[in-house]
Amino acid sequence: MKLLIELIRSTMLAATPILLASLGGTYTYYANIFNIAMEGMMLIGAFFAVLGSYLSGSWLIGLLAGVGGGLLAALIFVFFAVYMKTDEFVTGIALNMFALGGTTYLLRQIFSVKGAFTSSKIIGIPSWEIPIIDQIPVLGKLLSGYPFIVYLALLLAILVEIHIYKTKFGLRLRATGEDDQTVDSVGINSDQIKSISIILSGVLSGLGGVFLSLGYVTLFAENMSNGRGWIALAVIILTRGRPLGLLMMSLLFGFFDGLGLTLQGTMIPSQITQMVPYLATLVALYFYSKEKRPKEEKPNESLAV
Amino acid sequence: MPKELIEIKNLVKIYPPETLAVNQVDLIIKEGEIHALIGENGAGKSTLMKVLYGMIPFNSGSIYLDNKKIDFKSPREAVQAGIGMVHQEFMLIHKYTIYENVILGVEPTAKFGLLKQKESKKRVQKIIDNYQLKLNPDDRIEDISVAARQKVEILKLLYRDVDILILDEPTAVLTPQEIEELFARLKSLKKAGKTIIFISHKLNEVLELADSVTVMRQGKKVATMTNEGLSKADLARAMVGRDVVFSIEKEAAQPADIICQIKDLSFIDNHKKKRLDKLNFTIRAGEIVGIAGVEGNGQFELVQVISGLIDNYQGEIIINNNSLKKLSILERRKLLAYVPQDRKNTGSAQALSLIENTIMTHHQINTRLTGKFDYLLNKKASRDLTREIIDDYQVLSSGPAAKISSLSGGNQQKLIVGREFAMATDFILLDNPTRGLDVGSIEFIQQQIIKSRDQGTAILLISADLDELFSLADRLVVIHQGRITAEKLPEATDKEEIGEYMLGARRDEIR
Repeated sequence: MKLLIELIRSTMLAATPILLASLGGTYTYYANIFNIAMEGMMLIGAFFAVLGSYLSGSWLIGLLAGVGGGLLAALIFVFFAVYMKTDEFVTGIALNMFALGGTTYLLRQIFSVKGAFTSSKIIGIPSWEIPIIDQIPVLGKLLSGYPFIVYLALLLAILVEIHIYKTKFGLRLRATGEDDQTVDSVGINSDQIKSISIILSGVLSGLGGVFLSLGYVTLFAENMSNGRGWIALAVIILTRGRPLGLLMMSLLFGFFDGLGLTLQGTMIPSQITQMVPYLATLVALYFYSKEKRPKEEKPNESLAV
Repeated sequence: MPKELIEIKNLVKIYPPETLAVNQVDLIIKEGEIHALIGENGAGKSTLMKVLYGMIPFNSGSIYLDNKKIDFKSPREAVQAGIGMVHQEFMLIHKYTIYENVILGVEPTAKFGLLKQKESKKRVQKIIDNYQLKLNPDDRIEDISVAARQKVEILKLLYRDVDILILDEPTAVLTPQEIEELFARLKSLKKAGKTIIFISHKLNEVLELADSVTVMRQGKKVATMTNEGLSKADLARAMVGRDVVFSIEKEAAQPADIICQIKDLSFIDNHKKKRLDKLNFTIRAGEIVGIAGVEGNGQFELVQVISGLIDNYQGEIIINNNSLKKLSILERRKLLAYVPQDRKNTGSAQALSLIENTIMTHHQINTRLTGKFDYLLNKKASRDLTREIIDDYQVLSSGPAAKISSLSGGNQQKLIVGREFAMATDFILLDNPTRGLDVGSIEFIQQQIIKSRDQGTAILLISADLDELFSLADRLVVIHQGRITAEKLPEATDKEEIGEYMLGARRDEIR
């Protein structure tokens, strides 16, 4: 029983950064921008969160600094991909490499450490004990006491769904992804819509980074995003960007991530357990494509009659 | 006397570096009229309207709307001032519904940017009812016809309370019946007080619809005339600057042996949709068979099946007693010449010279171009062949070494037609050979087609232009949804009847 609760808790924690990054990336997905830079945006967010929190002694400043870092990375992406019309894929790769090299360099320069920086001066994101519920024996352990970003991420999943499907911006965003010239022709600046979508992806990925370095753990390690931005991309493509689908998928990946961690205590070598989430990606891809095929053919059969 | 609504004075538009697209044009549009703007391709009519609509900036001159000087920086400003434009290529989001397309850009919203769906949908429906557009706002664009999409474009402008509508060649994509419906609609819009500017190069339509006509040629305005007692010849002379022969003169065809036979030809595409359904017809030496049909009813697939781009078809295509079934594209090209519809991407390589474009296909087949070794090309022979075609087909160019992209569309097409006709095959496949060309080039190419027929070639002509089919074809085959609905002699039918078959409203039992 205790193990199960631990597994569910670790699922929630591992799912949150993936969910946040994929919620960000889904904006660019709908704008038809091939955004692979969530990985780098997250890493930059994680670094600046630690830096901000360490220097100011305030988790709030840390959070703002982390989100600001993601925003900065997004602005670089906007400048190149939207206004200089560079290739989105190359821009994304450059940004990811820059994020990895840049944060590693700054880590060594500012904190004079290699590998990871940890300090009692880094103030983490406070956890939220839900009143009443945390008194209930099992449920309290399950639902209460996460860093508040976890709850925020769940709320954001719903808000993003509404934002993309029910609002003016969402209508314009999806239209831009379908056909940006048409969008321009009705007097909307599609470059602006694209830029906003990239900025939102930067902010949300940055928030994912903040959670990594101030919520999940309280430290910064080189390359600590560790592929989560890529998994977020896979999640987006698998669910075709539907935010509630992202939530389910992120939880699934979180579960496998958590499972990997839980298995580390056993005889299985840690290198193998670390592979679990990525193996799960491949398996998910397999089932996804298998499920997709008959669906696509059905309407056409009826047409042929 | 209706008042002058738009006044354009001395307008100049130069496309860098030095193409004078609009040259000192003055134009007056009166309130509540239908004003036709006609001219050949490249005459500057679309450019002039795009300037008015704020899509492109102009170099000098001035524009007045209601006696107020205007200089729109974007279409959005033009629409706010009451001027809207329907482009030749529709600007619609295919996956969106009609309703979503209409409100895109002017979305009514409540708090937090949430869309007010109910209210705005009601307004869209009301406009549809008022103007009897017969559209369902919840239909998706990808599911409706081209004519309906055009109505959506007009609906978009009406929703934005536009008073002046500019339509860029609105009939190019419509069938005769749909054109009639459009004209009736434009007339009722005029009655409702709207002013309509109508860009066209089809003279019949202009004479039927317009109150006044402005003719442009080579960037300059030739004249503005009231549509009273005007004739087609008057307009054509103003457009081209010389007399134009409208009916291509041709003798009655002398069909001889069967060259091409299409037997039970069917094709089912990847989505299991039947694109061609048991087509049967023959083409004899010395005759032109025309395929009429609304675009998207199998013409595209028919061309691909014959040319070899699609090879998984059922049935038989036989040319000169050879079944095409097992033949590669190169082997087919020894039996057939082919003028594709897409001049820029399929018909030519835009970055290459006239010589290189001329010897395409020839370099594999024509022994004249190879010396002793058939893997070496003879440069001189290539240049000579190009020169011959340039001379015979009156291709205006700076010489064989010029890039084909430096030629006008009409001259590019003349070179392509010349290249294909020089293949000296018994069968020629023509897919919209004169689409988008100027009147002069159309006339010339059509004459060449007749000439080739008279020399005994079997010709299959696919064209979206009914006028062209009626003036060239010796027999008409009408297709609808991949099936033949009629086979008629042009002299025994008319456009309206063919139009009914094209829409599938009528269907003959063919064999």
